[in-house]
Amino acid sequence: MKTIALAQPLVVAAACLMLASGQASAQSEQVWKIGEVAPLTGPAATVGTRLNKVAKMWVEDVNASGGIAGRKIELTTCNDENRPEKAVACARDMIDKGAVIILGNSLTASLRAIQPLVRRGPILLIPSPNVVPTADSYGFQVSPADSHITEAVAAYLKANGLSQIGMVAATDASGEVGVASARKIFGENRIELRLARIDLRATDASTQLATVAGSDIKVVYSSYTGAGAITVVKSFKNLGLQQPLIVSYGNMSEAFVQLVKDVKPPRLLGTSVAGIVPDLVADAGDRERSRAFLEKYSKRYSERADMINLLGAAAVDVAEAILKTPKPDDYEAVKKYLESTPIPSVHTQRFSATNHVGLDVSSVIIVELKDGVWVKADPVK
Amino acid sequence: MNLFTQAIMSGLMIGAVYTFLGIGLVLVYRTSRILNLAHGETFAITGVAAALLVGAGLPLIAAMAIAILIALAFATGLHRFLLRPRAEWPAGTLILITLGAAFVVRGVLILVAGTDPVSFPAIFPEAPIRFAGGAIPPQGVALIVLGFGVSAAIGLFLSTTRAGKQLLAAAENPYAAELLGVNVERARLTAYAIGGLLGALAGVLLIPLIAVDFQSGLAMTLRGFIAAAISGMSPVGVLFSGLGLGLFEAMVGAYLGALYQDPVMFCILILVALWQSRKIRFGGGRRA
Repeated sequence: MKTIALAQPLVVAAACLMLASGQASAQSEQVWKIGEVAPLTGPAATVGTRLNKVAKMWVEDVNASGGIAGRKIELTTCNDENRPEKAVACARDMIDKGAVIILGNSLTASLRAIQPLVRRGPILLIPSPNVVPTADSYGFQVSPADSHITEAVAAYLKANGLSQIGMVAATDASGEVGVASARKIFGENRIELRLARIDLRATDASTQLATVAGSDIKVVYSSYTGAGAITVVKSFKNLGLQQPLIVSYGNMSEAFVQLVKDVKPPRLLGTSVAGIVPDLVADAGDRERSRAFLEKYSKRYSERADMINLLGAAAVDVAEAILKTPKPDDYEAVKKYLESTPIPSVHTQRFSATNHVGLDVSSVIIVELKDGVWVKADPVK
Repeated sequence: MNLFTQAIMSGLMIGAVYTFLGIGLVLVYRTSRILNLAHGETFAITGVAAALLVGAGLPLIAAMAIAILIALAFATGLHRFLLRPRAEWPAGTLILITLGAAFVVRGVLILVAGTDPVSFPAIFPEAPIRFAGGAIPPQGVALIVLGFGVSAAIGLFLSTTRAGKQLLAAAENPYAAELLGVNVERARLTAYAIGGLLGALAGVLLIPLIAVDFQSGLAMTLRGFIAAAISGMSPVGVLFSGLGLGLFEAMVGAYLGALYQDPVMFCILILVALWQSRKIRFGGGRRA
């Protein structure tokens, strides 16, 4: 009897201790769960790893300064290898584990596969220009659309009095989007399009270039991203073509510049957001943020940031804005917030109830590689 | 610019690559009865190693020589340490082992070189040669000459010389070959070494014209396999199948478009396979 009487308060005390420690550990474990789907291996690894670097840098900075609203960020990166079926598995897993935001740092096919999964949230942030989420979805694209990029190319041609362009596009999903944009935009601007497609595994692009780069074509545009873009540039050089060659935004990287520096055409141009050349950014706030990001990235990774990194920066800026809202897991409220509030970033993101693409053609410029640095493109001579 | 001429030039370059890789696969298969799915990794290893060594400041020729030696070491090591101790295992299992080795190489190349493509300067960096409305870089000419030349030499060696026939005999009937004094193990090791050397040569000639990354190996193995399969695993036949495939691919790409390349190529492969199986089923042919 005495034993039972003594044991009771001990049991109650032990139970209270367990409850208290459980609560404390639950509180100390409260984090913002953010999922990232990115191709870290496979043909698109060069894109996924660059976006992942920006995400990691952001998470480290935020956590080093104490987190947001007292909670640190837990970033879970899933390598989808640019395979849609794997991207779906990644996203499902992240949603099941309570991610409040998914960074869709992958390519077109994977992102399209993920989109139906976020019909009821969480928010999906997309740095790719090829997806264009619908306004009734929880997807938000922080990049200009592919049509905006094509419009910028068309504007450059018109400013130079040109009415023809040769184009090489890959046979993958991104290539299809590029071709569709080109046919529409160039058609509307009465620019004759000469088009050739190239297989992802091609070891030579000379027949494609011979098809599209006749002497009457003053500018050639390659919308091909990845290792194959090097093949196009080298074939361009091997054919001794003299026209300016515009390469895709996906190739505005230090690695690409190093690979082509000895074989670059007489004039190598590219499409990019203006933030890659901060002096060309119209808005003072955006200009400063672009500069600051480029410096921070360069210090952190000892390499120059490129357009893909800039889009990654835009995505994490939007993610941070979401986490600072009163209830980041109230996806409907977050959606309304994003649609009604400009989000400051390397380029201020402006979504609306009818448009979930945060940038437009005004953020895109044509740049030129000079002495290893991208600057505003000169006119076509 | 003349599209037909350019397509011929491009086709010859593509065909040379098919032939380089195909003859290596055929050589290994005809001496060991194993389809080496890690064959193309010698291409990737050579490219990445040469690019890194050039980037570290080594002269181009020295970098290429070391890269070729590394690729050779991989090819012979694959046979000596992975396949030879398991020679009695079923062929299917050994093929899977070579596939596993290919994936290990991919992983190592990612760790060593990252995911970005790499390249190195051409041995012949001069201006392109212009002829009949087409243009081809001198490196491309070297690729064509060496690709077909070396492959033809190996094909003739295997089919017409005593030493070559001994290599083939080692796979046809290793026990009988040993009884006749053929060193079967040396023959197989030689085959893997030559195959590795051919993959490496393809790398030093082609990669300066494109770029290579960690996953280029399997794509190159596939190219070699298509050429080898269409030739019926014939050492001489692969020369013609490689040439034909290269020209066909270039012509289809030039006149029909790249979207038709894969469907047309694989249709050809299926038709050839059906034709060859018909010969085997109804007599008149023999298995490779």
